[in-house]
Amino acid sequence: MAEFNTSVKDQGDVSLLYLNGYLDAHTASVLENNFSDLIAKDKFKIVVNFKDLVYISSAGLGVFMAFIEKIRENNGDIKLTSMSDKVYNIFDLLGFPLLYEIYKSEDEAVKKFEEINKLEK
Amino acid sequence: MNLKSIRIKHNIQLQLLLISEGILFIYKMFFYSDTSFLLKMLNEIIVFSTVLFMVLYANDIFSEKKFTPLSLVMNLGILCAVIFLAVLFSDSLLPVLFGKISDTLKNPDFFFKIISFLYVLFFAAIVSQLFLILKELHFLKQKRSSSIYFTTMVWFFILASITSVLKFFPELSYIKNTFFIISIILIIFNSIKISWIAFITKKEKLSLLLLSVIICALFFVNLFGSSHENSHYQIFSGFSTSLGEFYIIIMIYGAAYFAVLFFTTLFHIPTAEAFDRKAQEVSSLQYFSKLITQVLDFNELTETITEIALKVSNADAAWIVWKYERIFKPIAHKNIGYIDAELINDYIFRNKSFTEAHSSFIQSLERFEKRSQLNELYSTVIIAPIKTHNEIRGYLAVTKKGDFIFDDEDKSAIDTFSDYASVAIENSRLLEESIEKERLEKELDVAREIQRKILPSKDPVYEKLSVSSVFIPAFEVGGDYYDFFEIDEDLPTGQEGKFGFVIADVSGKGISAAFIMAEIKGIFESLSKTIESPREILIKANQILKRSLDRKNFVSAAYGLIDFKREVISIARAGHCPLLLVREGKVDNIRPQGMGLGLNYGDQFQLFLEEIELDLHENDMIVLYTDGITEAKNIDMEDFGETKFEKILLDNSEKSADEISNEVIKEITQFSKHITQHDDITLVILKWKQKLKIVSLGETPGLDGMEIKNGRIQHLS
Repeated sequence: MAEFNTSVKDQGDVSLLYLNGYLDAHTASVLENNFSDLIAKDKFKIVVNFKDLVYISSAGLGVFMAFIEKIRENNGDIKLTSMSDKVYNIFDLLGFPLLYEIYKSEDEAVKKFEEINKLEK
Repeated sequence: MNLKSIRIKHNIQLQLLLISEGILFIYKMFFYSDTSFLLKMLNEIIVFSTVLFMVLYANDIFSEKKFTPLSLVMNLGILCAVIFLAVLFSDSLLPVLFGKISDTLKNPDFFFKIISFLYVLFFAAIVSQLFLILKELHFLKQKRSSSIYFTTMVWFFILASITSVLKFFPELSYIKNTFFIISIILIIFNSIKISWIAFITKKEKLSLLLLSVIICALFFVNLFGSSHENSHYQIFSGFSTSLGEFYIIIMIYGAAYFAVLFFTTLFHIPTAEAFDRKAQEVSSLQYFSKLITQVLDFNELTETITEIALKVSNADAAWIVWKYERIFKPIAHKNIGYIDAELINDYIFRNKSFTEAHSSFIQSLERFEKRSQLNELYSTVIIAPIKTHNEIRGYLAVTKKGDFIFDDEDKSAIDTFSDYASVAIENSRLLEESIEKERLEKELDVAREIQRKILPSKDPVYEKLSVSSVFIPAFEVGGDYYDFFEIDEDLPTGQEGKFGFVIADVSGKGISAAFIMAEIKGIFESLSKTIESPREILIKANQILKRSLDRKNFVSAAYGLIDFKREVISIARAGHCPLLLVREGKVDNIRPQGMGLGLNYGDQFQLFLEEIELDLHENDMIVLYTDGITEAKNIDMEDFGETKFEKILLDNSEKSADEISNEVIKEITQFSKHITQHDDITLVILKWKQKLKIVSLGETPGLDGMEIKNGRIQHLS
């Protein structure tokens, strides 16, 4: 059975969420719990790192859709980074680049959040 | 023997008893103090038969009931006490009434006759009861219901009693004495074997110890109280010598039996507790098997486990600590309040030094700082893990109050028990799982059925266009959907209409995907009738879906329309895999811009959505598919991929639509053998104005010949 796991790291007020393995209908609940936890802790600035994600199914994509509204309402965002070509292609086909900011590297995404922070001040 | 015959037998016995009593009464009225030996013997025979019938009658009533040893002993004690009091009473009362008994016996008046008759009858009844109880005790927990030793003893009782009549001939008294001594030897021999002691509990043994002393003493008092001087004995032996003798023998038997009983019990006391426990372990084995096979509901099971745990360990309270996520919570607590259990839990499991123990241990509560807050002052706790597949699921906890503590024996008992409990819990979990699995399978059956009914049952047939579709469902319904719409089908013959088609993939799986699929079908079916533009249809579909789709659900779709008259195809794509155009030995991706349905309900969807129009050339092939094809896995978890897919299409582009789709499916099946198909596979091939070469008939005559027979001849226009 394909495995999927995640880990969360804090960098300033940005939460880094690392995905690893196969994200499909069976493992989507793991990611759902991650987002619920972060939202419960009022952490709305989330960078998701796809570096070690091998596969994402439509149910996996659905998880991002499920939480984005709530996060953006709270002045936060989900930014996606470090996708493999294959994973990016899946996002691209569905038109996700229009809905989410997708960056090559984690740093770029974090920097983007920091810039917004500066502007707000 | 049925009940009725027993009742008749009862009646006969009662009648016999009453008759013999009547005879005895009449005899006594006339010959109370006759001294002739013949009459004496007659007297003894009548008394003997009366007592015999008494015993038989009582025995019948007796043997119908089952008595516990202690209740028998208690009855015996009461009877002894009655004799004791009666003797005490009669000793002081009878002389007052009748003067010196020995004198009165020689010349009894009517009143004395009556009184002494009733008096003796009363005692005879008690003595026969005593005898029966002693017999019952003797055979208690014996494997056999008769024993040669006991029977011999009874015979000697009778012989000793009857021969006591010979006291009138002092030179013959040795006969009676011999029988008497043998009786006593047999009494001692029979009293030694007391086998029922081992089967009673420690508590019962303790009370038995006290009872046996008292009863033994009563027997002795009754025995020595029957001296030749006292009026009780005088009336008794005056009435019947053998009855007096029988009375003495029974008293000796009782005294001996209870003396032995006292010592036997005394010696059993030290091992009583260990024996109790062993007995409990044996009986709990029965519970275990019951536990494993009968109780399947989890809550009921945990209740039963703690209930049995109490019995196995001699504990005062028991509960289970179950692991929910990462927190241990007490459940199924027995004889302990939730708060107490929670406090002790806190102490043991939320202790910093606590690591998941894989074997049982005894935890003292001496140092528990909140021990005074407990409602009961518990002293020690045994904690035994409940494991399934070597993973700790929870713990079984039992505790004792006050100064009592657990020892290693208790621990190992609980340990063994928790192993059984683990198996039982695992069983119930597996059952629940299989029920759940069955439920899911049923649900998937429904989902597959919905999907099967939604998808087109046959491919449409056109003069200019051949259509071939293949759908292979995954075990868990994957949410693939495709459909064909014949537009303007009511046109007069000769005029060409339009052909619409859609392919879609609903996110998620199973029954929820199937429901969305059904909805999508409804949407496209109705929209295709009123709107022609693929882009407009997708925009409208997105708007409609806003009302019903969850945030996390979306649908990728592509909609196309072929205009037979203008010979063009227009396509819009909402997040679906690109369509493939195979033309002149090349494969092109047709990938107009567009995001999936249900991802955005604002302007963005509409603004981003493109529609393209292509002219159709002869032999053009349009391929629609879902990611079930390109993401089909092989044993190394590699994807089938676009490249391989496109190559198959190119290599077979000269063949008919059906042949090509067969070829693709064949290759995928080959690629994914030994691997469970994890997503639906959908493939639709559209071929425009194909002219099949007659030559191919010659190459593979069998196959092509058949194809033509199957109505494919129309492609050779």
